[in-house]
Amino acid sequence: MSVRVEGGVIYLAGRCPVEDAEDLLRALEQDAQATVDITGLQRLHMALVQVLLAVRPAIQGQAAAGPLSREIFLRLISDNDRTPKNP
Amino acid sequence: MNELLEQFLIESRELVAQAAKDLATLARDPVDGAAIDSAFRAIHTLKGSFAIFALSPAERLLHAAEDVLEQARKGAALLRPATLDTLTACLDQTDRWIDAMERDGALPSDADERASAVLALLRGHVADQLPKADTSEPASQAADWLTALVAREAHQIDQSIADLIAFRYRPDADCFFRGEDPLSVVEAIPDLVALAILPAEGSWPRTAELDPFACLSLIEGLSAADEADLRAAFRLQPDQVEFAALPRTSRKTDREKITADGTLLRVESARIDALADGLRDLVIAINSLAPLANDMGRFDRALATRLRSAQVSIERAATSLHGHLAQIRLVPLEGTLRRLPRAAREIADALGKSVAFTMEGETIEADKQIAEGLFEPLLHLLRNAIDHGIEMPAARQAAGKPPQGRLRLTLARDGDAITATLSDDGTGIDPARIHHMAVERGLLDEDAVLSDDESALRLIFEPGFSTAAAITDLSGRGVGMDAVQAAVTRLHGTITVESKVGSGTSFHMRFPAHALTTQLLVVEIDGDRFGIPFGQVRETLRIDTSAIKPVGLGQVCVLRGSAVPVVDLAGLLGLPSMTAPTSRLVVTHIEGSPVALRVGNISHRLDTVIRPHGGVLGQAHGMLGSAIMGDGSVLLVLDVQELLA
Repeated sequence: MSVRVEGGVIYLAGRCPVEDAEDLLRALEQDAQATVDITGLQRLHMALVQVLLAVRPAIQGQAAAGPLSREIFLRLISDNDRTPKNP
Repeated sequence: MNELLEQFLIESRELVAQAAKDLATLARDPVDGAAIDSAFRAIHTLKGSFAIFALSPAERLLHAAEDVLEQARKGAALLRPATLDTLTACLDQTDRWIDAMERDGALPSDADERASAVLALLRGHVADQLPKADTSEPASQAADWLTALVAREAHQIDQSIADLIAFRYRPDADCFFRGEDPLSVVEAIPDLVALAILPAEGSWPRTAELDPFACLSLIEGLSAADEADLRAAFRLQPDQVEFAALPRTSRKTDREKITADGTLLRVESARIDALADGLRDLVIAINSLAPLANDMGRFDRALATRLRSAQVSIERAATSLHGHLAQIRLVPLEGTLRRLPRAAREIADALGKSVAFTMEGETIEADKQIAEGLFEPLLHLLRNAIDHGIEMPAARQAAGKPPQGRLRLTLARDGDAITATLSDDGTGIDPARIHHMAVERGLLDEDAVLSDDESALRLIFEPGFSTAAAITDLSGRGVGMDAVQAAVTRLHGTITVESKVGSGTSFHMRFPAHALTTQLLVVEIDGDRFGIPFGQVRETLRIDTSAIKPVGLGQVCVLRGSAVPVVDLAGLLGLPSMTAPTSRLVVTHIEGSPVALRVGNISHRLDTVIRPHGGVLGQAHGMLGSAIMGDGSVLLVLDVQELLA
């Protein structure tokens, strides 16, 4: 299981396949204030990125280095993308 | 060859083969949804592959083919047999273009006309169902996204010293269900400079309305890579992506490739061969440990025992490596045989005949060498079957057969062997006629009596036999079934024929499935060793040198009451001639008559893999290749038949 909920924190770990999108969405629905921890995350499917972008939970930790984590999470963490750019 | 082109050739041929297979399935069941989907995907991807090289005639053609399948997919149109035939013609044309790309690196000059000709056929079948060819977005809309992107990424664009290309990738909403991950597509983009994931509909849905399994995103970004490389990253999604160049005048940066994880690795076969050679060397090195342990045992038994147990573990590891390597060398036969269906159609078309060719069991695996060697004899048999076996449509109807001839290739694994059977429902071979022709051609005495029909049929494999009444363009090139026999023999295989006049012919072939080892007889001439394939040796004997008598320019000896020419191997190979009181002879048969080859000494037998020579050595007369001996030295393997011919 790569989506784990513990004490108000949703941990994403390892490689998160498309099926995890539903688990992540359900966890975020149950606790709208939950923080998502990406410390142990190695890879994630587009489906999960969409959920994060749409729901916009607080993100903590640093994902594995790489252009994708830089491009995706930096923006999520610094909250640059809150307003849709393509209205 | 450029790496991108090489990959294109491999991938596109696989896609053509896949689509052809699906069309064959659809010919049997035109509403097979899985086959329609699969053919659609293959053609769609194929179109993308051609787009990388900006080969627009091919793109045009495949786009139209894709449209036809898309209609069928939506249930808007039925795939009629005539439509399927035209789709097959599209694939054949594409396949020819792939050949042209391999040969010339470009499409032939008539590509546009050919595309238009096949397109016209395609449109004829589904005139009212084809949408307009131009499906690109209006220019103004395209400009909008670019303007927004340039504004958003102004900082990155200013910082960059390379030419940049902007891309906008809109994955299909249902792409997750097809196992696609747009993120991993993006991950493979070379030289990514900027990336943005945007809601495709302008804003993200509310949490409660979010469908976690629909792709709702639009991905835009910038890359500093070449357009061809960038297109290559999107080769599986050609219609979901748009590009726009943002040129810079400054120099390009060195590029660092980001590649996606791959589960399949394509390896040049030469590297596998090198690995096999290395493994052989390793085995040879291991063999030297046993005598070492024996020597050591004389001084220190305990140490020798340890060395022996180390030797055993190294041997075990080498054996397991050997097994893995043999597995790697196994390839599915379909790789080499996938060109047969197209060949069958082209041959039939050229002869004005109609033939349905089917293939079964082509997914079974065999050693690479066997799989590659199979194509030539099978193609030849196919040609012969269509040319000489299958009758003209009118003749078939007159004989009460369907006008379309049937040809079936069945491949199967039988223990350590593979079998291939090619059957046609043509005119069959008349043993009496074969007998008559063999006499006419001097292959058989007039009063010769053959034990059965099968022996008569076997005559077609004799050199110089051709049954075609008229020499045709296709099969009458002076090579006949003897070429098939030779190719089969080269693969250590066997071939038999079975035929019934009026109802058809079957050729049954059997080949080893694993790497070919050859039994060699090792002979010596003055310290030099040579290998002679056991198959070419009838007998070996020792005679007094004085019993070899000069006759004219040559020499003969008497063997069981008949004179047999004697040839010095040393002389044939340009080595100094031998003088010894007794001579060792290796007797072989050249065109049915015995010829004795005088050698210095006959050393031993060896079961080994012969490696054909490449380059200059490959052209050397009378050489089959080389083999590596147990002591690591290289043994030249002779082709005695060719040396004496």
